Amino acid sequence: MKFAVYLPPKAETGKCPALYWLSGLTCTEQNFISKSGYHQSASEHGLVVIAPDTSPRGCNIKGEDESWDFGTGAGFYVDATEDPWKTNYRMYSYVTEELPQLINANFPVDPQRMSIFGHSMGGHGALICALKNPGKYKSVSAFAPICNPVLCPWGKKAFSGYLGTDQSKWKAYDATHLVKSYPGSQLDILIDQGKDDQFLLDGQLLPDNFIAACTEKKIPVVFRLQEGYDHSYYFIATFITDHIRHHAKYLNA
Amino acid sequence: MEEESGEELGLDRSTPKDFHFYHMDLYDSEDRLHLFPEENTRMRKVVQAEMANESRGAGDGKAQRDLQEEVDELVHLYGLEDDHELGDEFVDENIPRTGVSEYPPYMMKRRDPAREQRDWRLSGEAAEAEDLGFGGWGSAGQCQDLREAYRYTHGRASEEYECYVIPEEEDEEEAADVFCVTCKTPIRAFQKVFDEHKEHEVIPLNEALESAKDEIHKNMYKLEKQIIEMENFANHLEEVFITVEENFGKQEQNFESHYNEILETLAQKYEEKIQALGEKKKEKLEALYGQLVSCGENLDTCKELMETIEEMCHEEKVDFIKDAVAMADRLGKFLKTKTDVEISAQPEFEDQTLDFSDVEQLMGSINTIPATGSSVRVCWSLYSDDTVESYQLSYRPVQDSSPGTDQAEFTVTVKETYCSVTNLVPNTQYEFWVTAHNRAGPSPSSERAVYMTAPSPPIIKTKEIRSCEEAVLICWESGNLNPVDSYTVELTQAESPEASGVTESVVGIPTCESVVQLQPGRSYIIYVRALNMGGPSVRSEPATVHTIGSYFRLNKDTCHPWLTISEDGLTAVRSERRTPARELSPSDTHFTRCVAVMGNLIPVRGHHYWEVEVDEHLDYRVGVAFADVRKQEDLGANCLSWCMRHTFASSRHKYEFLHNRTTPDIRITVPPKKIGILLDYEHSKLSFFNVDLSQHLYTFSCQLHEFVHPCFSLEKPGCLKVHNGISMPKHVTFY
Repeated sequence: MKFAVYLPPKAETGKCPALYWLSGLTCTEQNFISKSGYHQSASEHGLVVIAPDTSPRGCNIKGEDESWDFGTGAGFYVDATEDPWKTNYRMYSYVTEELPQLINANFPVDPQRMSIFGHSMGGHGALICALKNPGKYKSVSAFAPICNPVLCPWGKKAFSGYLGTDQSKWKAYDATHLVKSYPGSQLDILIDQGKDDQFLLDGQLLPDNFIAACTEKKIPVVFRLQEGYDHSYYFIATFITDHIRHHAKYLNA
Repeated sequence: MEEESGEELGLDRSTPKDFHFYHMDLYDSEDRLHLFPEENTRMRKVVQAEMANESRGAGDGKAQRDLQEEVDELVHLYGLEDDHELGDEFVDENIPRTGVSEYPPYMMKRRDPAREQRDWRLSGEAAEAEDLGFGGWGSAGQCQDLREAYRYTHGRASEEYECYVIPEEEDEEEAADVFCVTCKTPIRAFQKVFDEHKEHEVIPLNEALESAKDEIHKNMYKLEKQIIEMENFANHLEEVFITVEENFGKQEQNFESHYNEILETLAQKYEEKIQALGEKKKEKLEALYGQLVSCGENLDTCKELMETIEEMCHEEKVDFIKDAVAMADRLGKFLKTKTDVEISAQPEFEDQTLDFSDVEQLMGSINTIPATGSSVRVCWSLYSDDTVESYQLSYRPVQDSSPGTDQAEFTVTVKETYCSVTNLVPNTQYEFWVTAHNRAGPSPSSERAVYMTAPSPPIIKTKEIRSCEEAVLICWESGNLNPVDSYTVELTQAESPEASGVTESVVGIPTCESVVQLQPGRSYIIYVRALNMGGPSVRSEPATVHTIGSYFRLNKDTCHPWLTISEDGLTAVRSERRTPARELSPSDTHFTRCVAVMGNLIPVRGHHYWEVEVDEHLDYRVGVAFADVRKQEDLGANCLSWCMRHTFASSRHKYEFLHNRTTPDIRITVPPKKIGILLDYEHSKLSFFNVDLSQHLYTFSCQLHEFVHPCFSLEKPGCLKVHNGISMPKHVTFY
């Protein structure tokens, strides 16, 4: 598995907090690093940024490259239970355990201070990782996340492929559902969504469901619908500074 | 190329007396060469123009002078024409400079030399049209120098040539028309191709000129500003000068009277002491004399007795016995009486301790300014040796206008030559006059002296104090019916008490308010004094200021009639009541449509942070607005206000961030109960936070060209409470 790491100048003299970025469908570990424009802000706030790949590659599983929204580049940050995926496609464990252990052992990061964010499928990944692990992440944010995968086409396709047909197992990886039973410590969630995002209009993202659930459970969310923006990295690049500052507030507190 | 005056060149024309020669070497020859590599060319051009003049023959001298004036005028017009913001000072200052502009008179070169003189008279517009260098050159002297130089370099007598002497080398007509940015020199276009300028960046001359002019304009503008600043400062200094003089006068007068008083008291004591000593002496002498007398008497008696006894011893026996018995009796009696041989009065004088305590007191109080708000110390002196038994001091307030109502006159009788008059009205002028009295009657009255009582202390309006971390705005009431000269603000830090505390004073404040710079995170105690000719008043009652966060109160004057503001100025309440639907008449001061109120934030830039406590179900708007925002409109409905708006309807919370009627689309899942607002003038931002969650809600980028005030509006009955004097929480500092 490949991953990218950004070390700020501050890391030369001491341990820094870690900010994990999860990319969306079809991305590799390179997209965020090259296109998002995060460097200045991360440097200013002294944050180490880690961007893993979106799925294992070259596993030689039949059908892994058939579609762009399932298999290679579409790990959906779940631990698959179905054959032939369950051996290799364990993105949830990778992101929440394996990768942090690796990073903590080899890079100047403070293991106690960690936050997570992502885009689209990665937004979904960030939200579920934070909701399933109360207190592990100091803050979470997302760009155009898939908020309610059990109800959208992408989610249905991926979950049935990775998790089988028992929908009760899907809910464990659905942010909207997880929120409803979230017991844990205070989370402050920032979500930016482009208003002209095609996938929003196609019903793939379903942020309203998530917001309603959070309102109900009194989970603090600030959701910004940005006029004129789409799903692309231009959108991410425009607001990345706000997100990094959001995380810095908690990581550098 | 050395400069020489006209006379030295042996020219026939006499130099006009009022002619001002500008030497070519006003600027270093280095500079000249650097800027104008085409020195020769210029000289030639200049010379040819010069010759054009000469060819006109008679009236040359006059032509020269006209030329000079015209050139100056031209230079002035051209050089400064587009700088309308400049005052006359600049015009005057700059003329000599541009008069010796280093730029050659290219414009002349362009035109037919024969028409040159006339062209110059066309003045500025023509020059601008040419769009080349500054017109003008200095003087006839310069022309002459150049001509000399020309002669020298070309070895030909200029007189031989008429107007059109143009040496072969100089066959191109264009003057420099591009500007080499690297060398910072104007060059001709084709020169760009040559080695020197090959690699250099070149821009059209026009552009270079424009940017050079812009530079200069900018600097001129700065200079003008500085002039204004300096003038203001100079004025202020003058005022301070005068105050120093006045204060000196008061100090002098005060010291003199005190000192005189001390001297008088000392003199008095001297007299008393001498007198007392004299009496003592008399006493002693009298006592001693008495003793002496009785001693003498005693002696006489003794002698007499002795003689009698001696006589007795010569008598007959019978007589002797008779006398002896009588004598024995007498002797017995006499000797019984004690003779006092103790000296009745000691020769030494005891040391007497003189009581100087009153003098000490006088000396101690020598520095206190005599006039207070209600008393004045008046002193006078007598210029003759007449005996005076007492003085009568009369006084009354000075009449301003109508002498009809005679003010009451008061009189005090004293023996000294000074008197402290009390029970006077503060901040009032009184006139005093004195008459001396003795047995023969009163003297004519002295001239009238006018003293002014110091003013009453002002009263600080503590409810209207506004502060932030770096400053405080205090305002007060004068405390006096009549105007005073100025006010002084005194402040000390509260933590360090009088002993070590330094008192800072701000003097010469003309109005009843002042903005004072302070250090953040401290507590200060502030006093105000009023000042007039009679001196300063006593300190006002103190007010305390804490420089933590920003502190302001809601301004009742801006309040919509349906809102009530609490006594402490921090809570706004809109009551449940049937409010009539009619429109309120528009007003400039208070809100008439939006049920809102503004706070009085201190007009100081920097950061300001405050919090508002609201009920979850309350419909409100909170934000900031310029003081002149239209009060007939809702907050956020125009470009002079920014606010966060919450409406609660059908169990749904809706949040908007309004400015100019537009809002971004934002959903907030947890309704804030306490909203933190950060106003950052430096970065032109207004941010909103959920204080309890340390959650950032939204940030406006706003153009804050003037000061803004916090504003609050209640769209439904309810109340909101302002909390201020809070220092910015850490999470807010990220924004």
